[in-house]
This record gives sequence, C-alpha cells and structure tokens, in this order.
Amino acid sequence: MGRYISIPILGFAAALSSSIIPQFIGFVLALLGSITPILDNSRGQLSLVLLLVIAWAIHADLTEGFVWAFVGGIAIDLLSILPIGASSFALVLIVFAINTISNQIYRINVVMIIAITLVSTVFMQFATYQILVLLGNSYNLLALIRLVLIPTLIYNAIAILPVYGVMRIIQRRLEGGLQSAPNTLA
Amino acid sequence: MRRDGSNGRFIFLALMLTLCGILMLLSVIGILSPAESILSAPLNAISGAFTSFSLSLNNIAEDFNNFGRLNERVAELEEQLARRQVELIQLREVASDYNRLTGLLSYTSNIDNQEFVTADVIAVDQSSIARSIIINRGTRDGIAVGMPVTTDLGLVGRIIRVSSNASQVQLINDENSAVSARLQTTRAEGSIIGLASGVLRLTFVDLDEDIVEDDLVITSGLGGNFPPDIVIGQVTSIRQFEFELYQEAEVRSLVDFDTLEFVLVITSFQPIDLSVFTDDEEDQ
Repeated sequence: MGRYISIPILGFAAALSSSIIPQFIGFVLALLGSITPILDNSRGQLSLVLLLVIAWAIHADLTEGFVWAFVGGIAIDLLSILPIGASSFALVLIVFAINTISNQIYRINVVMIIAITLVSTVFMQFATYQILVLLGNSYNLLALIRLVLIPTLIYNAIAILPVYGVMRIIQRRLEGGLQSAPNTLA
Repeated sequence: MRRDGSNGRFIFLALMLTLCGILMLLSVIGILSPAESILSAPLNAISGAFTSFSLSLNNIAEDFNNFGRLNERVAELEEQLARRQVELIQLREVASDYNRLTGLLSYTSNIDNQEFVTADVIAVDQSSIARSIIINRGTRDGIAVGMPVTTDLGLVGRIIRVSSNASQVQLINDENSAVSARLQTTRAEGSIIGLASGVLRLTFVDLDEDIVEDDLVITSGLGGNFPPDIVIGQVTSIRQFEFELYQEAEVRSLVDFDTLEFVLVITSFQPIDLSVFTDDEEDQ
C-alpha cells in the first residue's frame, strides 16, 4: 500500500514545491526583513519531495524506499529543467544509504534524522549541480553554496521533523490497517 | 546467508541506478518527450491552481503592507503623469513625422507584425540552481523552442523546452542566459547576463562607450535569438575598472520574476541559426 500512496503524495508535494512553497518562503522572508545576510537574495527552496522520501525511507523496506525515490525523482524532474531520471538517480542512492544506516541502528533519534536530512540535502544539491554542468550549463559554485545550499539546508532542517511526524502517522495507520485486515475479514 | 542478502541489495541498487541512467539518456535525447507531456499534464494542472491561489494571497498581503505608502505614491505618480503628458505631446509630433517619412520609404516596423500568445505561469523550477518557469502553453498553441517571452514590462526569457500543453522558459536572470543588448540613448552595445543573486548585469560594453544611469536597456537583435527593441531594464549602477577590457553595469528589470502571473510568447519570431556561418569559418 505504501508504494501506491507514494504517487499522489509525492505528486502533490512536487506541485506544492513549485508553487505555494516558494511564494510562502518569499513572503516570510519579506516579513522578517533581512534577519541574516545568509538569506539575502536567497534562492533556496524547501525540498518537500526529498524530505518525504527521507521520512518514508527511514522505516520502510528497501523496495518501498526505492519506489518512493523513483516516483519522487520523476515528480521533481517533470517540474524542473533536469532530464527525467536525474533526481531519481540521486534519491535512490540516498534511500539506499538511509536503509543501510537504519538497518544497523536500533533506534533513530531526532539528531540522527536532522543529520540524515542535512547530508542528503547536500548530496541532492551537489548531484543536481553536477547533472546541470554535464548538460553544458555553468554556475558560480560559491554563490550557489551561499544563495541556494545554505538556505535550503536551513529550511529542510526546520521542516523535517513535522514532515517525519506526519509520515510516521501515515505509516502506522497503513501498518495497523494491514494487520487488522485479516481480523476484519474473519 | 547475510552476504547473499547484502549482494542482493547491491544488485537491486545497481538495477535501479541503471534504470534511472537509461531514463536520463532517453530524456536528454528527447525520446521521452511524449511520455513527459502526458505525465506532466496533471502535475501542471495542480501546480497551476496552487500558483494562482498563492499569487492572489501574496497580492492581498502586499497590498495590505503597502497601504500606508499609497498616498505618497499617488502624489508622486500624479507629478510624473503631468511630466509625461508634456512628453507625450512632443512624441506625438515626432510620431506623426515618423509615420509620414516611413510611409514615403514603404518601411514596415517589425513590432507591428508581432503575434503573441498569452500564457499563465504554472510553476517555478524545482531545482533552485536553474532559474526557469513553466507556462501553460505548448506545441498545440504554436509554441516552439527559442521563442522569446515577454510581459508588458519587458523581456522575461526564452522557451527552452516544449511539450504539447506546457513549455519551460529560461529566465533572463538565469546564470546561463545571455541576451544581446544596447542602451537606448547612447546605443552602446553589450550583453545582458544573469548572476547567481538574480541580478542582471550588462557586460562587454566597450570602454570608450558611455553608460548613463537610469538609461533603458533594450534588446539589440544581434545574434538572432531575440527581436530588437524589447525593454530589458534600467541601468542602476556602473562598474568601470582601469584594468578591465570592458565596462559593466547593474541593470534592474521592471519585471518581478518571483511573482510572474502571466507572460506573452512572441510566436511570430523565429530565432536565426547562425551556427552554419561559424561552421563554415571553422572548415576554412
């Protein structure tokens, strides 16, 4: 079931990420004024699809994680300049790393979730940059770190815990539903 | 047993990465374009609805914030209007002379022949690195790669990818965008490039040319990628260093790229491919 709900959730998240979220972040930054020079002229965005994939992959099996990574990547690429499959490539690697870590650790705590998010964000941004460069584009890397990477890290670090909480509720409901299904039939 | 499981995981990973790699390759070649059109249709529809909703909310919030400054602004605009009316009378005189003279020469202005398609902005690029937007018009509406995109306030960008019902527009403030430009009054020529901060910069202007603050920057039409005389922005500051071979200027576009709601695609303009001349030169 977790595999099938990935399509509406991630599609919806991708649409949100390319419409309401940038407007909302712009509005909040305008209200706050230039609180920190890091966020001046910021082009960073909240990577909602990445956060959803991370949150789901922490407690899902590898196959389900890969489905989420693949669908999420396609959703990102359909609404971006990237070729189809580019974001899926990066997300599949992220999910594999998360699955490997979560298999070796008894319990994942808040610090671990934020650390995974930060590392994944850096990896995702770096992979996107590399693919765009391979396609013949050129960008000022230092400016991108200041204007894109750092703000994105801040937004993702703030948003991962609520996103994780919501994803856990959905996962538990699904697990509960699957476990109670035979009883219902009986 | 454990090693078998581990091997299985790596084989699964390799299969997934290969699948993604093949998809990427097919997408770059363009074979996936029909599938991309079909898959992106529902996403574009949802994204378009969200965008119009969030822009209307943003506009309300902005109006509310600016309420205090409106009276001051109205007085300023009234003063400007009075000045412009005087200019208008003078310009009408010039226009009537121009029409009379061009009529004598049987000259037709390009601007009169331009055809536009209006499009709504439905999404901004998901990868924050590139600056592009998605509009709700595609090949069905006569849109093709390379067509210039404008608003009533000036140049926005050009079409870089088209599906049947949507197109992707590279904004002029993208780091990989370059537009041949000239200053309206001094006719100095240069190139407008986008910077990482989203600011426009006029560059490659000869040192002996004059750049004046507040001068309008317009497209020059050189290179054949954009029609001439489309407003790009206004010079805000000049950068001139003795050790450089050319001068530069910061340009402020009148277009707010973050809150674009609709754009105009110039469908009558076909970019001119100059690569054939470059190839000939290389052959020689």
